[in-house]
Formats: sequence, C-alpha cells, structure tokens
Amino acid sequence: MDAALTVTLLNFAYQGLVLALVVLGLGIVFGMLGVMNMAHGEFLMIGAYCAVAAQNAGLSVLWGAALAVPVCGVLGCLTHYVLIRRLYNRPFDTLLATWGLSILLRKLVELVYGRGYQNVEPPVSGGISVFGVEYPGYRLFLIAAIVVLFAVLVLWYWRSSTGARLRAMIGNPTLAQAVGIDTNRLACAAFMCGVISAGVAGALLAPMVRVAPGMGLDYLLNSFFVLVVGGLGSLAGLAAGTGIVSGTQLLFATLFDQTSGYLAVLGVSIIFLWLKPDGLISRR
Amino acid sequence: MALFPVADARRGNAAVLASGLAPLAACLLAVPLLFGDFFAYELSLYLMYGIVAQGIALTWGRAGFLSLGQALFFGLGAYLAAFALKSQAGPAVQALLLLAAVLAPTALAYVIGVLVFMRRYESGPYFSLITLALVMFGYQLANQWSSVTGGFNGVGNIPVLFGLDRYTHHYYLVAAVCLASTALVAWLMRTPLGTLWAATAQNENRLQFFGFDTYRLKAVAWAVSAFLGALAGVLFASQQGLVTPQSSSVILSAELVIWTAVGGRAGPYGALLGAVAIGLLSTELREQFAYWEAIVAVVFIVVVLRFPEGVGGALMRLWRYSCKGFVRGAAKRAAYVPAVGGFGAAPQASFRRDGGGFALSISDVHVKQGPVRILNGLSLQAGRRGLHCLIGPNGAGKTSTFNMLTGRLPLARGSVRFNGRDVGGFGAPAMARLGVGRKFQIPSVFPELSVRDNLCIALWANRARGRALLGNSVRGWNTPTLEFMHRSFPFFAQTMDEPAGALSQGQRQMLEFAMTALAEPLLFLLDEPCAGLSVDETRHLGSVIAETVGRLDACALIVEHDMAAVEALADHVYVLHQGRLLAQGDYAQVRRNAEVQAVYAGGSK
Amino acid sequence: MNATTPWLLQFSGLEGGYGDTVVLRGIDGGVRAGQVLGVLGRNGVGKTTLMRLLTGGLQPFSGEVAWQGKALGQLAPFRRSRLGLAYSPQEGVVFDELSVSDNLLLHLESRDMSRYGPYLDAFPRLRERLRQRAGTLSGGEKKLLAFVRVLAEGKPLSLLDEPTEGVQQENIDLMAQFVRRRAEQGAAFIVVEQNLGFLQRIMDTLLVLDHGQCVAQGEAGEFDRDRLAGFLHI
Repeated sequence: MDAALTVTLLNFAYQGLVLALVVLGLGIVFGMLGVMNMAHGEFLMIGAYCAVAAQNAGLSVLWGAALAVPVCGVLGCLTHYVLIRRLYNRPFDTLLATWGLSILLRKLVELVYGRGYQNVEPPVSGGISVFGVEYPGYRLFLIAAIVVLFAVLVLWYWRSSTGARLRAMIGNPTLAQAVGIDTNRLACAAFMCGVISAGVAGALLAPMVRVAPGMGLDYLLNSFFVLVVGGLGSLAGLAAGTGIVSGTQLLFATLFDQTSGYLAVLGVSIIFLWLKPDGLISRR
Repeated sequence: MALFPVADARRGNAAVLASGLAPLAACLLAVPLLFGDFFAYELSLYLMYGIVAQGIALTWGRAGFLSLGQALFFGLGAYLAAFALKSQAGPAVQALLLLAAVLAPTALAYVIGVLVFMRRYESGPYFSLITLALVMFGYQLANQWSSVTGGFNGVGNIPVLFGLDRYTHHYYLVAAVCLASTALVAWLMRTPLGTLWAATAQNENRLQFFGFDTYRLKAVAWAVSAFLGALAGVLFASQQGLVTPQSSSVILSAELVIWTAVGGRAGPYGALLGAVAIGLLSTELREQFAYWEAIVAVVFIVVVLRFPEGVGGALMRLWRYSCKGFVRGAAKRAAYVPAVGGFGAAPQASFRRDGGGFALSISDVHVKQGPVRILNGLSLQAGRRGLHCLIGPNGAGKTSTFNMLTGRLPLARGSVRFNGRDVGGFGAPAMARLGVGRKFQIPSVFPELSVRDNLCIALWANRARGRALLGNSVRGWNTPTLEFMHRSFPFFAQTMDEPAGALSQGQRQMLEFAMTALAEPLLFLLDEPCAGLSVDETRHLGSVIAETVGRLDACALIVEHDMAAVEALADHVYVLHQGRLLAQGDYAQVRRNAEVQAVYAGGSK
Repeated sequence: MNATTPWLLQFSGLEGGYGDTVVLRGIDGGVRAGQVLGVLGRNGVGKTTLMRLLTGGLQPFSGEVAWQGKALGQLAPFRRSRLGLAYSPQEGVVFDELSVSDNLLLHLESRDMSRYGPYLDAFPRLRERLRQRAGTLSGGEKKLLAFVRVLAEGKPLSLLDEPTEGVQQENIDLMAQFVRRRAEQGAAFIVVEQNLGFLQRIMDTLLVLDHGQCVAQGEAGEFDRDRLAGFLHI
C-alpha cells in the first residue's frame, strides 16, 4: 500500500479514536443521564495535570492516568452530590452551574500550576515501523489502548448486570425504582464514570498536546458537537458523530488549512444544532 | 369595564421610569466629580459592558432564552465602527456607516433568530449552544482574516467619535447612551410586547394557541439585544481606540452572562449593576487577590442554584419589603378601577365569522408515534353550533385528536378541513388565527403574570399586531365577552393583580376558560375543562361554558369523563375507542349502544 | 384470616395531587395479609394517583401511609420495594430496551429462571419470547410480563395498576387464578381494575373512587355486578 495513504489512514484512525475517547465521558453524562456538563473539558484538563504531577514525581505518564481515577472519582462524586443531583429537572440551570464549576476548576488549577503551558514527555518516544511506514510509537500505543478500552466498555455495558440496570434506569426510571434499583446511587456512579473517563483521557493525551489550564474549552465544544451530530444515548451515535466530525476536520485541513478544518466543524455543528439537534442516530 | 384604565397605565409607566432613571443619571453624573476623570474613564468601559448585559437581561430574564455568544454582536459592532471611523469619508457617509455598524448586527440577529426559533418552539440549551458556536466562528474569523481585521493584533489607531476628548468628555457620551439604553429596556419591558415576552418565557405553548408567532417575538427580543450589543461595541471602538478579537470571544460572552446573572437579570438596573460592580471589582482585585475569580465562580454557582434573581433582585426584594407601606399605597393607586362605559372597544378578531356554516371535517386520519397507532382511521364531522362531547376510555385518542388538529401531532395520513379550507398539518398559531381555541386539561395560564395580564393577552389574540403592541392603548380594550366573564367569575375583581399561579386549581380552570373565550373562537376545543373541580365548581363552569358557546354562536368539542356533565351539557356525543370513532348520537342513543357499554364495562375489548 | 389480622398497609386521610392541583381528597383504606383490595373508578378519578402515593412516587399533601403500623413518610420508592412492596405501574410496564428474560432477572440476585417455571408454563408465549426485546411485545403481552414479574417477586404486598389491559380473556382467567393462589398463601394485593369480571373474581374488599373521593367501600359480597357497572356509569 502507498506509504502516504497508510500514514493518512493511521492519522484518521488516531484522530478519530482520540476524539471518541474524549467524547466518551460526555457521552455517558449527557447522552445517557441528560446532564449538560460544561465542566467536561476541565475534568479532562485535571487528568492532564495528573500526568504532569506524575511526571514531576519522576513517574511515567501512565501513573498519571492511574492518579486521575481517584482524583476525578472524588470530584465527580462531589459534583453530583452538590450540584447535579438537585438540577436533574432543570437542564438550563445545569448548563449554567457546570459552567460556573468549569471556571472554578480552571482558576484553582491556575493557582497551583500557573497559567503557562506544561510539557509532558511520552513514555514511548520515537517511531515504530508498522505496515511499512514509520509512525510515532505513542500514537500507536494510544490507538491500541483506546480500542481495547472501548471493547471492554461495550462488553460490560451489554453483558453485565450493572450495565443492564443502567440501561433500565435510563429507559424507565420509575419502573427501575419500582423493582428496587437505587436510581440516585446508580446515576451518581454513572456520572462518576463519565468524569473519570474524561480524566483518564486527559492524562493519556497529555504527552500529545499543550497542557494549560485553559485547554478544556475546545474539548468541551468538540464533544458537544460530536454528540449533537451523532446522536445521544448510544455508542453507534458516538461512532457516527466522531466519524463525521473527525472526517470533516481532516478533509478541510488537508484541502485548505487548520483553521478551515476548525471552521468547517463549527459550520457542520451549527447546521445540525439548527436542523437535526437529535443527531443522526437518536434513541430519545 | 376595561381591564386597565389607560390613563392610569400611562401615568404609572412614566412615574416608574422616572423614578429609576433620575437616580441613575445623578449617580453617573456624580462619578467624575467625586472620583476624578481617570476613574470615570475606567468606569465607562464597564458601562459599555453593562449595556450589553442589559440586552442579555432582556432576552434571558424576560423572554426566557440565553445567548452564550452575545459578544459576537459587540465585536461586530466594534469592528464595523472601527472601519467607519478610520475611513477617510465625509461626516455624512461616516454617520451612515456608523448606523450600519449598529443595524447590521441587529438584522443578523433577527434573521438567525427567526431561522433557529422557527424550527423548535422550545428554546433552551440548544439555542445557547448555537450561539456559543457562532461566537467561536466569529472569533476565528476575526483572528484569521488578518487582511481585513488585522488578525490577532486587531485594528488600532481608531479616532474618537465626534472628536471628543477620549479621557474626559467621552465618559459623558457613554453615560448618556447608558441612560438611554436603560430607558429603552425598562420601557420595552412595560409595553404589551414586554408582557408577551414574559408570557413566552412562562408558557410558550399556550401563547401559540392565542395566534402569536412566538418565534418572531423571540427573534425581535434577540435583535434588540444585538442592537444594544453593537451600540456598546461602537462606543468601545471609539473609547479604546483598539479592537481585537478578544471583543468577540467566548470568554467575554461568558463573563457578560455571569455579570448579568449575579447582578440580576430581571431588569436593566440589575444587569448594569452586575457589569459595573463585578466587572470593575474583578479588574481591581484580579491581580492582588488571587482567589477573586474563584470566588466569583462560586457566587455564580450559588446564584444559579438558589437565587435566580441575582444580587440585584435580592436587593430589590429587600428594598420593597422595607418600604412596604409606600408600595401598598402605590399598588392601590394603580389597582383596577372599573371604568364606566369602557375605553377603546377592541377591534374584531381577524378571522371571518360569517353566518354560514363552518365545518370541521376529519377524514380517515392516522397518527403514529413509533409503532403505536394513536389515531387509527378517525373520521368525524362536527359542524353544528353548540356543545359536543368527546368520550371514550383511556388511550382512545381524545387528547391526541386535539393535538393533531392543532399541529402538535403530525398527520401520517388523512385530511382535515375547517371552515372550508384544508388545514392538515397547520401549526397551533395558524389554527388559532383561523378561529380555533383550545383549553388544556391541566389549567395552562401564565403563572407569574397577573390575572389582568393574562386576560389582556387573551384579548390581544388575533387583534393586536405590530406597532399596537408598543403602546398601552391595547391594555384598555373591552369586549362584551369580557364583561360577561367578569359577571360569571366575580373573583376576577379581587385577584386582578395577583399572579395567576397563586389562584386555586378551580380558579385557574375558570381563568383559562375565560381566556379561551376572550379570543372568541369559532371552534372551542376543551379538554376536560372541569378536571379537578369540586361538584359545585363543575356545575358553575359547565353552565358558563354552555352560555358562552351559545352567545358566541360557536361550536365546542369537549372531552369529558364525567357522565353527569355529558348528559347535562351535550347536544351530541362522539365515542372514541382505539383511535377511531366508535359511535355517535345524542346521550341517550350512545348510552343504549351495546358496543359502547362493553367498552366501558371493561368486558370484551 | 379475619378482621383481627393486623393491617399490612394502611392509609388514612390521604390527600395528594400534582403541583397544587388536588386530585385525591381524604382517602382511607388498607389491606391485610392474604387480602385483595380492589380499586374501582372511571378514568381520571385518581386511581393511578393513589397508587403513586402508596408506592412513594408522589408525596401526599396530607395524610399518612403506614406499613405494618409504621409511617412510611418520605421513603423512596426503591426502599419501599425492598421493604416488601412490589409494583407494576399503569404505563411503562416493562423495560423496552431490555430482553424479556432481562426484565425478569434484572432485580434478582441470582439469575435463576426456575422461580418463573409455573408462570411460563401458563403463558407459553412469554417463554417463546425470552430472548426478544421487551419493546417489541404487544401491549397485552407487556402487561402479562409485568404481572409475572410482580407475582414471582413473592413480596408480601403487590400493587397492580390495570394489569389486564389489552390481555386476552383466557390469560385473564389464569391471572385471576394466580392472584387467588398467592392470596391464599398469605400475600396481599391492591389492584386497580376496570375489568369487572376479573375484579369480582379476585377481590375481598373494594374501594370505589369518584371525583377524587371515596364513594363506596366494603366487602366483596356487598357489591353485585350491576352495582359495580353503575360505578362505571354507562
């Protein structure tokens, strides 16, 4: 196969999978629980700073991902208890309250680490030869890790009893309570998973991006756009949205430039928000 | 007996406006004297932001939708003003260009507003996300289109408006515009248009059933807010002399929303207070007190959770509470006084009311929701004057029929004709304008508006258009139906100025019926009008309904479960079952029908 | 079982509704172990509201619901379920997204189908559709599935809201048999029904609602078919 084509395909796979990983957390929180979490990008940012902290302690970045789990778990639990729990019937106020939370988180991180960029070294540097081309090793690692992660997640969601209870609760919360499921605790657990997922994504991505307190906004908006385009509440929707957004960005960036790619994604999202806000594959 | 003696309304408005603007003007004038010119120069930046915030208060606090990208219009106005002021054209051309700098964003907001609001009648988070995406789009354009906008560095060396001194006299210009914008927003909120905006926020669905195109109302509100944003942008370009992409950024938009929320979004004063107090404090304290912004974020979260009216609103409540005595008196003076002979008689409703027959003809209508057949070949003719009852067991499709008739459920197959024309698929405002009035099972009024305002809105249905909504004469309208409603429901007189949400269930049912009747429809669609009422209330409302429909020479389709009421009221009964017409006739005939009996006894289904 | 058996569930002075709309006023009643209480009334009189008040989905404006003598207060629905109250609502009776077998096993610790043996024997259609998504069942089949789920839970009290709606007559007869058999074993039931034949076969006591108030109450023997039909009024 042509080397340039291979590289392009690998790039597409990489960008798409990374986007899917970033969106996953919001997909759980917004797609399933219906919570418009505007602090999603900030939880990702905190995960990235966990990687920074790991690096500062002399450990590899993967320890940062491990650290992100308890940190984001606690933050997610607190957020659900203080904010989200009271605002399930007020989607507008959820948006605003989580927006305020995002500012708060950003400022707190700024106070500790300052506003400047941090650099995180990947655990695997240099290229690896694959399919006849040289491709950055860490990217390949991420591709593999994300695929495995999603496979595990899909299996768990569709086969495990907790997954069944979650699906039950989302579809029919009254009946879920009637059969004895503690919906509040389950929702909190799901929310925590969404937040943890964002944190882990941030930690894993830290070596590949510029880590700064303000990095969250772009991820937040991209995540919303993917969900709006693809549709809420299903993995298929997530995949569709990721494919379209990623593909549009790549197409315009290749044909014109980065900015055009960015503007094209904004344009597509605005059109979907306007004409088809339930997305392509809607379960609602 | 007009609802609102117009002379009193005018007096009331002027007094209220003056009582707010005078102290504001005094404060603004006092600032350079007390704090010096440099502080005034700094303050004027936040006055400009305050003007934008007032626009947000109008759309969010009044009309009920939130734009997270308001800085788009601010930045657009600023850039266009920069080009205008820097151009070498003569003063007349410059003036035109400046006018364009303010009007272009206004028009843009109106067009986008119409496009977006027409698609979904519920605003909410999706609209906010769209505005967020739009402001990001604008920011990227400003940043990248260097040839026109100067890119990251922006447009500099902008001369001052009218050649004023930037650091001394320009403040007064800003203060004057700020006063004007406060007056504009305060005035608009007190016009009938302002009442309609509040109604849109509280119960947009209901407002549509009075024939109002709510999407246009919201687009106008957004256009006004864009106008204010652009106006502030023009002043900004003049005062700062430099316009960068930061003026059209997400960060500025977010800060504006926070200032408005914390200051108080109920009115222009709160928004102004928020922008000035929090904005100014932030600049002073940001450097010295590292935790300041974190604290503002926490305050914002608390405001969202507990104090939606903001600090300004809480202060207002405190003030009103402490001078209760004055307020009581004022309320008394502005209270409802039955005027003799009535003021302006309302014009005729816009639909034709010819003496000939009108007919509702539903033919083989199918409505599906997913795999469920809600209406399954429904065919029904209703044309005679008088009361017709629609009965049937749960899930038979009675409310769904009403929903289908008024565009709330899409027609999969079949046709509907009303008054000689094909109305299949017409939406609620269109049907209302053709003379179809609907009353909901759960009383649907505008809970935070006074009873007076609720009745006014019903009177304006199909009668008040355009410019009339900006004047107060429409508040003085009177019709024979209104007088009859006053006689039928005497509690109106005592509760005129109370919020409709404070009425009891029964009173709200009666209010909603009165509102439906005031629009004088040709066809009444009444969904369990006596639901939740005691036996006496049911009897009273039933007789009022019968007499009203008779007076208006209209046809009424009433969904009912109470067989005693059906027997007493109905000239004709339709029985629905599983989405189609099972039987019809007068009450006795239907009662004897074996199929109908079986359906109700739950026997063979 | 006689009148001195203690009340299992008792409600007194129950008043409730939605927002500030009062739907039910001053409802008293109760059920003892091994008894079946029927609730009858036309559409819109507040039967489902009563069920919601008893299961905790709605908080009453005033009045009290007591389980074995202790007031339930604001106890959440899932806790009432764990206390011993099984419930099948009027609408949304199954988890559409899950398979039939998942619907039956979701809430159990052990995924053991054996407890459903007799029920699946009686309703072979359900057994055929175990792997199917519950959302694809017909309305009557969904009601049947919910009925089976509730009865197999084997809880001391089961609340059923219109369990026979859309169900075929042969199956309705079997359902009545199952209810009587469980009642003889000591379980209590509160059943909202408009199918008079079914109601007459299963009920020991009756509560009739109209306009949100109780208009008749008493032992099953006091109500013959005509009187029952009269309450439904057509």
